[in-house]
Amino acid sequence: MESMEEETPRIGVFVCHCGINIGGVVNVPEVVEYAKKLPCVVYAEENLYTCSSEGISKIKEGIAKYNLNRVIVASCTPRTHEPLFRGACEEAGVNKYLFEMANIRDQCSWAHMHEPEGATEKAKDLVRMAVAKSRLLKPLEEPEIDVTPSALVIGGGISGMTAALCLSNQGFKVHIVEKEPELGGMLGHLYKLYPTMQDASESLNHVVNSVKSNKSIEVLTSTVVKQVKGFIGNFEVTVQKANDETANFEAGTIIVATGAPIFEPVGMYGYGEYDNVITQLRLEQLLKDGQLKKPESVVMIQCVGAREKEGRTYCSRICCMTAIKNALLIKDLHPDTDVYILFRELQTYGKHYEEHYRTAQDKGVKFVKYLQEKSPRVVSGKNGELTVNVYHALLNEELKIGSDLVVLSTPLIQHEDARELSQILKVPLGPDGFFFEVHVKLRPIDFATDGIYVCGTAHSPKDTPESVSQAFGVASRAAIPMALKRLRTEAITAVVHENLCSGCGTCVKLCPYGAIEKDEKGVARVTEVVCKGCGVCAATCPERAIEMRHFTSEQVMAQALAALGRTSA
Amino acid sequence: MREKSSVLVIGGGIAGIQASLDLADRGLEVYLVEKTPSIGGRMAQLDKTFPTMDCSICILAPKMIECFRHPNIKLLTYSEVEEVSGSAGNFTVKVLRNPRFVDESKCTGCGTCMQKCPIKVPNEFEMGLGMRRAIYLPFPQAVPRVATIDKDNCLYFQKGVCKICEKFCQANAVDFDKKPEELTINVSAIIIATGFNLFNPSIIGEYGYKQYKNVITSLELERLVNASGPTGGKLLRPSDGKEPNEIAFIQCVGSRSQRKKCFPYCSSVCCMYATKESIILKEHKPEVEVYIFYIELRVFGKGFQEFVTRAREEWDVEYIRGRPDEIIEDPKTRDLIVRYEDTLDRKVKELKVGLVVLCPALIPNDSNTKLEKILGAELDEHGFFKSKDPLFAPVDTNVPGIFICGYSQGPKDIPESVAQSSGAAARAAEVIALVASEEN
Amino acid sequence: MTFEPRIVGFLCNWCSYAGADLAGVSRISYPTNIRIIRLMCSGRVEPVIVLETLAQGADGVLVMGCHIGDCHYISGNLYAERKINVLKKLLARTSLEVGRLRLEWVSASEGGRFAELVKDFVEQIKALGPSPLAGDKPDKNILAGVLAAKAAAEDFRLRLLVGREKTMIDDGNVYGEKVSEEELDKILNEVIDTEFVRNRIYLLVKEKPLSVKELSERLDLDSKTVLRHVVVMRRRGLITVDRVEGTSPLYTALEVGR
Repeated sequence: MESMEEETPRIGVFVCHCGINIGGVVNVPEVVEYAKKLPCVVYAEENLYTCSSEGISKIKEGIAKYNLNRVIVASCTPRTHEPLFRGACEEAGVNKYLFEMANIRDQCSWAHMHEPEGATEKAKDLVRMAVAKSRLLKPLEEPEIDVTPSALVIGGGISGMTAALCLSNQGFKVHIVEKEPELGGMLGHLYKLYPTMQDASESLNHVVNSVKSNKSIEVLTSTVVKQVKGFIGNFEVTVQKANDETANFEAGTIIVATGAPIFEPVGMYGYGEYDNVITQLRLEQLLKDGQLKKPESVVMIQCVGAREKEGRTYCSRICCMTAIKNALLIKDLHPDTDVYILFRELQTYGKHYEEHYRTAQDKGVKFVKYLQEKSPRVVSGKNGELTVNVYHALLNEELKIGSDLVVLSTPLIQHEDARELSQILKVPLGPDGFFFEVHVKLRPIDFATDGIYVCGTAHSPKDTPESVSQAFGVASRAAIPMALKRLRTEAITAVVHENLCSGCGTCVKLCPYGAIEKDEKGVARVTEVVCKGCGVCAATCPERAIEMRHFTSEQVMAQALAALGRTSA
Repeated sequence: MREKSSVLVIGGGIAGIQASLDLADRGLEVYLVEKTPSIGGRMAQLDKTFPTMDCSICILAPKMIECFRHPNIKLLTYSEVEEVSGSAGNFTVKVLRNPRFVDESKCTGCGTCMQKCPIKVPNEFEMGLGMRRAIYLPFPQAVPRVATIDKDNCLYFQKGVCKICEKFCQANAVDFDKKPEELTINVSAIIIATGFNLFNPSIIGEYGYKQYKNVITSLELERLVNASGPTGGKLLRPSDGKEPNEIAFIQCVGSRSQRKKCFPYCSSVCCMYATKESIILKEHKPEVEVYIFYIELRVFGKGFQEFVTRAREEWDVEYIRGRPDEIIEDPKTRDLIVRYEDTLDRKVKELKVGLVVLCPALIPNDSNTKLEKILGAELDEHGFFKSKDPLFAPVDTNVPGIFICGYSQGPKDIPESVAQSSGAAARAAEVIALVASEEN
Repeated sequence: MTFEPRIVGFLCNWCSYAGADLAGVSRISYPTNIRIIRLMCSGRVEPVIVLETLAQGADGVLVMGCHIGDCHYISGNLYAERKINVLKKLLARTSLEVGRLRLEWVSASEGGRFAELVKDFVEQIKALGPSPLAGDKPDKNILAGVLAAKAAAEDFRLRLLVGREKTMIDDGNVYGEKVSEEELDKILNEVIDTEFVRNRIYLLVKEKPLSVKELSERLDLDSKTVLRHVVVMRRRGLITVDRVEGTSPLYTALEVGR
């Protein structure tokens, strides 16, 4: 794969001021002058913003004018800006793996703002280290793979079904795997949906029927995902049905839409002890089935098991609106029933949610603010009647509310089997237990693993409109590789020097992706498109017969020596 | 049949950028129309983002440049959609390209003209706190990096003299005779991503915005704490250029309010960005006292409650429950006295601070009314675009083939905008797939 | 002038390098002494490189990876942990302080923790003082020890054991017999002892021919142990008899593809 011809390195170094982010601390002109004297550096310049379109054209001009075959940008972090600069190199005819970065902002000027001299010296060292590596860089190519134009959607709730329908409308085949016997998920248990007060089952049936009648969607209910092998474009999925029968199919992309159950507040506020202490979900069921006997006084308690000091520290987002909606439904049925909502901070954010809050107030729903440190207490009288004692934080008084129905608003939580799925898919869970996206701000529905996406409440608590928005979102993200049909994959992979390999098989066992196997000659061979480039094999190989492309031992050692101010032999 | 199916995206903020990149990455052609000289939108103005404290422009700039470099994206900045006809699968769109009076193909963005131009006017990007010239780039990372002449302030256009920029332009890019151009394009689908405007806090007279120098808005604060902002990242208050020691944030200025000219909804992001800005202020100067006046803390997103807890416990940010009744300026020191009722102990109190930061309602973009007429996509009572079905078709409008995302659909934060913009892209791709299957 | 340590950091791309970035983004300051080398995974940390870095005079080496369970490559950090464990055992047999090497876990959101750990490590190294191997005149004896450790880290037998450690505990050996951590540690210590001593012998006799007596003096080991190693090394063709002085044979190293 590597080019055979050895060219003499001609390195160009572009040092970024990043406005004043770097230039305000690091003496950039001094770094440029220093870079010019380093071996193989034939050109160096400073830029106000190397990442600006001007900076990019400067790189391209430099490559053309000085016949550069290696480029170094000393600026911010390669984690965000390497693709941009690599692109510039590629456009100017330099293989993008001949680009190297020195992180003199995030790991230098910003961290050493009060030590301009030390920062400047460090910046020089970082440039010297980059040059040391750059000299040894080799051009690499990214292998191309075909993408199977079908998606696996795990979870047949509203998120999964929405994503599936959208993908099928774009021309892709979809497998929905649902562990329950029926499609529908959480919506199947709900009565009315805010903000429109539509009937949940009516809307849901419409979607379920669309899915079932769709020829390009295959629905597998009472089925779980058992194993996933392979990689983006080429996942091999094994599922298991309730009767233990297994089936296999291929998928190009995978969408996690497993949803979230509610927290069962056993032992809290008399739940499990008194029959008339129930969850919002149970109330929803009673309303749906028309089984709610007219209560005299309903007390809803918010944040039960949520926004805790430790453990479930998060806000479950949907509970305030759910409580308001159910309070309104009770008021509609029984206008003279007293309804209290005991809340900590009311989450009626967004376009139309405040209006529901106001309507509830107008209809006589009483809102009582309580404090976390003075949580309400539910006490039972002799005849089983309940009293909720609560300190009203706004009236500064202790209230004793007689109640024949206490409704606990509990958070959505992660499924018990999510950990297992996360291990099968090799995608992470966050500290709150929900699936953890690769970048909270700008890649909210992508996982770090290519070709796997997340939407709906598997990602974090959210309501139907928000889940549906995300479901459409993943239907776009997953469609990108499938629409392209062919993809370029990781170039930074392991390579085995066959003549050094003794066939001990250590690497075969330790590769976390199963990317290495022994070939017919008994030596190790790497499946490049499966290799993710971690380098564990290279660092471990007893014969030191495996090399990591782009992070070769020679390159890493050269950087270390440069860091110490020593030169490699 | 057209060579490539196209989509028009209106608005070059993070929502429009994400929708464009998703479509372009899968091989569809995108026209990205942006009214101002640069894409980037509001996110480009922010210092950091909550709750991860990512540097906003640092994570946005690569995406902006990706749009610029993408072979499938045609960037039409400083342009406006004027007329739309046709229907889903086949819209004809007239785009007005306002003259920059600088040739986009010649300008290198070297900036010499901007140094030589004698006219200084307040820079909109810096919320008027910094100055720019009459020929300018709105901000250093602007995309495309092409200068624009602001006709209303240019000496040549106003008085017929000067032309210094033309003289100094090595690339001969300045062209005072440029005329507006009209471009007609054909697209299969349209995505609206117009984002938000800021409520004018002057309407709340008792807070003294524009009357007291040391009462500013949160977006002004973002620029004041930004390292490439007008003060180089030092928080210097407007009255005397000194660093204030006590700062108060006031939430829900013009939002969650039934007052005339105010907005009843919650803007969704202010509690969190005020918390973020408080932490930034504490990072800059640990001994500064920060107070946040709030009514209800909105902490509903992933990691938000934890973020507020950290601000409270680790950074000593003080949250005070109550909507201040008025702000009085001490005429000598220009310090501000905030009078409020603490709704937790029901006592009327006063707090003296050196700077007040108002968190105004984020309101629908004023272009929406014009776009409603042009596109036929309906607005709701606030001026946001209406979803066809708020529950199951949140990104669809009443017009087939026209979709909405980001703040133009309703209040939301950056990740929600990004996810929803991908969603709008998927819906647009569905239209194209449908057209293709019918053509076959 | 005050002593400013030179510290080389090997950081994984996904967590700890991102954490280091975050420290900067958050403007959390820490000493300038560290020079970071980005690797994709802490599991890429090659023991030979760490030892060579120390041999070349680094005052400290700081390896950082994702917290256990967070590895972007699933289990790379577990392998890193095993390797650092072996490295520390090897260093303990040299006269270079083990404290010059440290492994820590830092997540992408732990900018503050990263800065604290760097501060702390710099203090730790300052307390140890400059590396005896830094500068133009490295301490020859200590260097010999570190080079022997490096040679041991290059050796097939030790590497095979380290490479199989995790699988031996998790899945057992070819007979399906699982090995406990304690048993494995015992085996590891024995192999390290052996490999370290043999490599010291090899490097010593490579410089000039020496007798068993001389070797046992240099290595501060009883001559019986030295003789046992010499016999094995002769059999493996690593060393040979150069000449005999009096009754004592002097051994010399053979250039072999080790």
